[in-house]
Amino acid sequence: MFKKILIANRGEIAVRIIRACREMGISTVAVYSEADRTSLHVQLADEAVPIGPAPAVESYLDMNRIVRAAHDTGAEAIHPGYGFLAENAAFGRLCEKEGVVFIGPDSAALELVGDKVRARQTMEKAGIPIIPGMKSVAQSPRECEAAARSLGYPVIVKASAGGGGKGMRIVADEKGLAPALEAGCREAKSAFGDESVYLEKYIEDPRHVEFQVLADSAGHTVHLFERECSIQRRFQKIVEETPSPALDPELRARMGETAVRVMKAAGYTNAGTVEFLLDKDRNFYFLEVNARIQVEHPVTELVTGLDLVRRQIMIAAGEPLGLNQNDLRQRGHALECRIYAEDPRRRFLPSSGRIVFLKEPQGPGVRCDSGIYGGWEVPVYYDPILAKLIVWAENREAACRRMASALDDYVVLGIHTTIDFLKDVVRHPEFLAGRTTTAFLKKHFEGWGEGGADEDTLRLALAAAAYDEMTRARIPGTSRAGGSAPGIPSPWTTLGGWRNGGTGSHGV
Amino acid sequence: MEFEFLVDGALRKVSLEKKDSGFVFREGGTALDAEIRPVSENTLLILAGGRSHLVRIARAGERTLVALHGREYAITKPAAEAARFEQGDDKAPEGERQVRTPMPGKVIKLCVCPGEEIRKNQVLVIVEAMKMENEIVAGTPGVVKKIFVAVGELVDPQKILIEIEPRP
Repeated sequence: MFKKILIANRGEIAVRIIRACREMGISTVAVYSEADRTSLHVQLADEAVPIGPAPAVESYLDMNRIVRAAHDTGAEAIHPGYGFLAENAAFGRLCEKEGVVFIGPDSAALELVGDKVRARQTMEKAGIPIIPGMKSVAQSPRECEAAARSLGYPVIVKASAGGGGKGMRIVADEKGLAPALEAGCREAKSAFGDESVYLEKYIEDPRHVEFQVLADSAGHTVHLFERECSIQRRFQKIVEETPSPALDPELRARMGETAVRVMKAAGYTNAGTVEFLLDKDRNFYFLEVNARIQVEHPVTELVTGLDLVRRQIMIAAGEPLGLNQNDLRQRGHALECRIYAEDPRRRFLPSSGRIVFLKEPQGPGVRCDSGIYGGWEVPVYYDPILAKLIVWAENREAACRRMASALDDYVVLGIHTTIDFLKDVVRHPEFLAGRTTTAFLKKHFEGWGEGGADEDTLRLALAAAAYDEMTRARIPGTSRAGGSAPGIPSPWTTLGGWRNGGTGSHGV
Repeated sequence: MEFEFLVDGALRKVSLEKKDSGFVFREGGTALDAEIRPVSENTLLILAGGRSHLVRIARAGERTLVALHGREYAITKPAAEAARFEQGDDKAPEGERQVRTPMPGKVIKLCVCPGEEIRKNQVLVIVEAMKMENEIVAGTPGVVKKIFVAVGELVDPQKILIEIEPRP
């Protein structure tokens, strides 16, 4: 087993990986950009290496700097997390050349599944069902026009190097094609440094169902069942769950077997995910392979009882899986909500700034994978994911309720987050009925605004604000800004004659 | 003491007075007897009506942020709010006439020209931040009066991107 691992990532996933390493007795090396000097992953790691300025291209995407940091600290392996270099075959190759273990599939498999067009060709040959679309990267707008006409609108523009919804655009008719291609290329270039795009037939109102797969270096491959990730906004998943309300045991077994075949066809090792679209008639199509640990991996962990990050590390160290498909079971139901630094009241624009107060929810079956802390300034340079709230319960109904109440207990003050929006999503009757498709948010949450005010609660808030004003007025220079600065007197001493606690009447 | 607060655009006149070991909170005809205890730097306990309400409270600039029972309120004082509505034309709020970006980022596309007539919610500028393209839209119908930025320029929330002459 490795003695030391470098984590080439930031935020909640870096924290998650550091925790797994600690439990396995492995030392950790964090890397950080100038904007992340004060970030949580840097505090938790045993060592931390600065790797450059804030923009990701000059730090988290700088392969040479990261490999050098691994050499300098004596780390034997690099865990890339998700995003950044996680699915970058050139980085995988560099690690192989430099004698550092890349915790993920080998560079040949990365290259194959990372090239969406080649992956589609390979899977088609292996007899895996795929979505009709262009067989190669678009060379010209004219070629796209012809392809779109023969596929029939609506079509979807996809980045060849894509992932995470970046570079994707749905096109309803010929008029919309040129602007969508332009925006898709631009976004793909900025996100992946590669502007090639292709077209696929757009399947309306599908479900997004993916299968988690583990494969060891001896080629032993199992699947850990599905995750349903249909609740998406601009192709970004925001709520995920397992089991999927849409699958029965027969369909689950068929899709799971197909997922294993996909990974075998790709020569894939380590943890990976096979994404499928499931249409209204329960036909499923191979979408792509995510060659990384995924944001939504915790729901699988909670229902299978397996630690996926630990498994990734064990596989990379050459250990056999020791799991048989027939022994694997799904137990109970798990849901995940992604907490983004975005303002749902203002078209989900990113929100940055200081978190002046943070209280994460707790309780039975509640897990919070977080990369933040109270008093921390959220930088503007990176993906706006702050944390993930994951719950487990005996069944879907109980899990939905548990999630709703955990979201109510989640307090993030100072920046805008998607928490209030998520509260309404997990309480929506269509969500509770399991009628989740990728069109769910568009259908039910377009133009979302918060529900009516609860006057009693609001009055208590006003009373608190008045009290705050009153106590501040009494002591000049006092403030109740978060993350207490030195020299701010404790309220216990500043309140003077105020009687704390005790048996005083409640004055009701 | 009497206070004027703005919550969700509504003006609320309230008062808080000490009484025995607690407080009386009043708004219009309603009164509430409560004990208010500071628990920690950002936490108050309000004991009222036999219930105990845990309140999280923090300041962020001019805003007092209060969270309780799964709800969050941004409370400001009218004076601070008024200062934000600068000079001149009060037919449309300043935020509708002066278009800004809510987050720092890079202008990657200007979608309108000076003098162009625009609809409400029409995309004016695309700003890239956190690796995503964000569309900045018009809050009001009108005419583009002036554009203050160019493609490639780095902008932040202080910067006015576009000025709009609102039309009904």
